[in-house]
Amino acid sequence: MADEFPFEISPMFEGERVRKDGMYVELAGPKSKGFELVKSVEMDEIEDGKFTLIGPDLSEMEEGSRHPIAMIYRIAGELVEQDLEAIVERRNHDFQNYIQGVMHLNQRYDIWIRVSKDAMKKGLNSFEQIAKATMMLFKNELPFIEKIETTYITDMAEAEKELEVAMEAYKARDERTRDLHDEDVDVFYGCTLCQSFAPTNVCVVTPDRISLCGAINWFDGRAAAKVDPEGPQFAIEKGEVIDAEGGEYSGVNALAKSLSNGEYDRIKLHSFFEFPHTSCGCFEVVGFYIPEVDGIGWVDRDFTGIAPNGLPFSTMAGQTGGGKQIVGFLGIGINYFRSPKFIEADGGWDRVVWMPKNLKDKVLADIPEGIVDKVATEEDASDLESLKAFLKEKDHPILERWVEEEEEEDEAVEETAAAAPTMQMPMMAAGAPMAMPAGSGGSGVKIILKNAKVSIDRVIIKKSE
Amino acid sequence: MTQVIAITGKGGTGKTAIAALLIRYLTKGNKVVLAIDADPDSNLPETLGCEAEKGIGDMKEFMLKERDNLPPDINKESIFESKIYEVLTEMPRYDLLVMGRPEGSGCYCYANNLLRGIMDRLVKNYDVVIIDTAAGLEHFSRKIIRDVDDLIVVTDGSRRGLRTGERIRELVGELEANVRNIYVIANKVTDVNKNTISETAKELELELIGAVEVDEMIQERDLVGSPLFDLPDDSVAVQEVENIAKKLKL
Repeated sequence: MADEFPFEISPMFEGERVRKDGMYVELAGPKSKGFELVKSVEMDEIEDGKFTLIGPDLSEMEEGSRHPIAMIYRIAGELVEQDLEAIVERRNHDFQNYIQGVMHLNQRYDIWIRVSKDAMKKGLNSFEQIAKATMMLFKNELPFIEKIETTYITDMAEAEKELEVAMEAYKARDERTRDLHDEDVDVFYGCTLCQSFAPTNVCVVTPDRISLCGAINWFDGRAAAKVDPEGPQFAIEKGEVIDAEGGEYSGVNALAKSLSNGEYDRIKLHSFFEFPHTSCGCFEVVGFYIPEVDGIGWVDRDFTGIAPNGLPFSTMAGQTGGGKQIVGFLGIGINYFRSPKFIEADGGWDRVVWMPKNLKDKVLADIPEGIVDKVATEEDASDLESLKAFLKEKDHPILERWVEEEEEEDEAVEETAAAAPTMQMPMMAAGAPMAMPAGSGGSGVKIILKNAKVSIDRVIIKKSE
Repeated sequence: MTQVIAITGKGGTGKTAIAALLIRYLTKGNKVVLAIDADPDSNLPETLGCEAEKGIGDMKEFMLKERDNLPPDINKESIFESKIYEVLTEMPRYDLLVMGRPEGSGCYCYANNLLRGIMDRLVKNYDVVIIDTAAGLEHFSRKIIRDVDDLIVVTDGSRRGLRTGERIRELVGELEANVRNIYVIANKVTDVNKNTISETAKELELELIGAVEVDEMIQERDLVGSPLFDLPDDSVAVQEVENIAKKLKL
């Protein structure tokens, strides 16, 4: 079938670079304009295999010249739907790179294409050949595409005009993508990049939770796992929902157990106090519990001052990092502030009392309106006293917790107040037998608590010497 | 197959000059070369006579800075790859890539992981890759470039310079990178120290594959900062580097 083309088509040519020396023509790229777009349409709207070119063809282009290019593919089929557009569009990159002598880089409005002199010598002289080969690959590799029609534009004015239309399509697509949440997917992604220095770290990336380093979102995980399922990013079957609010899933727990070598077997993705996510060392921001106000403060890597608890980022980062589940501290990526599930189990933004101004400004648009002015920065509060005063003055929702706490203390004086009312304790009080795993010493200590109601401020277990 | 050659040595030994002359030899011989300036303190672009405005370091910063503003489902590896291609300086028969500024305080694990894949693919496009790198071999310990065929330590005539060669050999042993051969080139050699150098090399069990004599033409050019790429064929250094290249089966 490939005989009709004057070039070879094979995945072997992926990664083939067309250098300036060997380049016949450059299309789009950093110094010109262009885009690629896949649109789903109805079956009767297009003619299968049809190609239209607006602007000069390859043969009319001067050697060494640069031109804009827009590539618009309209696809139809019983199973073709709008949600598939992005995935199909991504394949244009793969397929065009299969063509010997064609280099395709990047995506959307950043595409950058070069055609080699060698390819031209071998008989490539029209965009129609490239378009037909690409259409053939689309239909072969993605059989749900029943019909495909293509338009390429190499005329600058026309390409610019169509780019505006395309930008609207990308925007609408991004809005849909941003609307993807944990409950909409069956698979999360794990990442082991940090395990080299934090061996028990379990990094779980979900639509509502970016990696701690801020670099890997759910889509990045999906892309990487697809290319190399054995690589550092891999799929995690979500499994059963154990706690929807806290974000606990059987699949995540099972993975936590294996990845941490048995150190952790429960992780709640959106919880600060109860089985929090482990913290590697790469986190962009660390959250810290402030018992005096029963609230949570956040400090980012770029903040060089001292947080109201008297500690700088570096000290807290040292306490938090290492791949441990540390109650009272939590490492996160900045984008997690934008998640609708942001520490949902602990009251979300209503629990946030302090963050550096620069960090607050970065996520300002995503802080709920009612709370935005009530979160203190270093300009409002530098220590616990001024923080308390600020929270009172602004009537921060955290004040409601203070009242509850005071009442509780009145009722049960004999119960020495634990540092945090919502810390790990409720789990112990639940009455289920609980086995604590032995420490790495391996001496095999097993503590079982049955029907116990215990409130402990601190437990220290030491090996007797 | 691409032959990957890393040239290292302590500052001032003239490793950048050797790198430039090797590239000169290769491009004249119709090889397509990727030159990588991986020493923050080096000046390979000037020595070759080209300019590189930005480096990989800048593009890593770009990825870190922009990542939260990018569309959520955009392919970051693809963006990063395109950004790396943007900073490639394209010259006749060779491309130059500058590593550039060091990493900041954030986490670069993911960026470096993407970079490894991008570099693996990029490197395959060239006959030879010449890397001018600092003695710490940082980019190899990060596995940005994983496989090196020949690691060349450039040294001056001093015993200390040769000791660096010994240390680098130890360092390579600790690296997870695959280095096939380690060689030493003595640079700025004079009649006085020629013999001592080869004896010391033997004593330290380092394989000396060339001794470049002090070259007046290079000294003159160094003084005014003009490139070494267009040195005439009869320059002493050019001729010795040709011999070395042949020994490296280039």
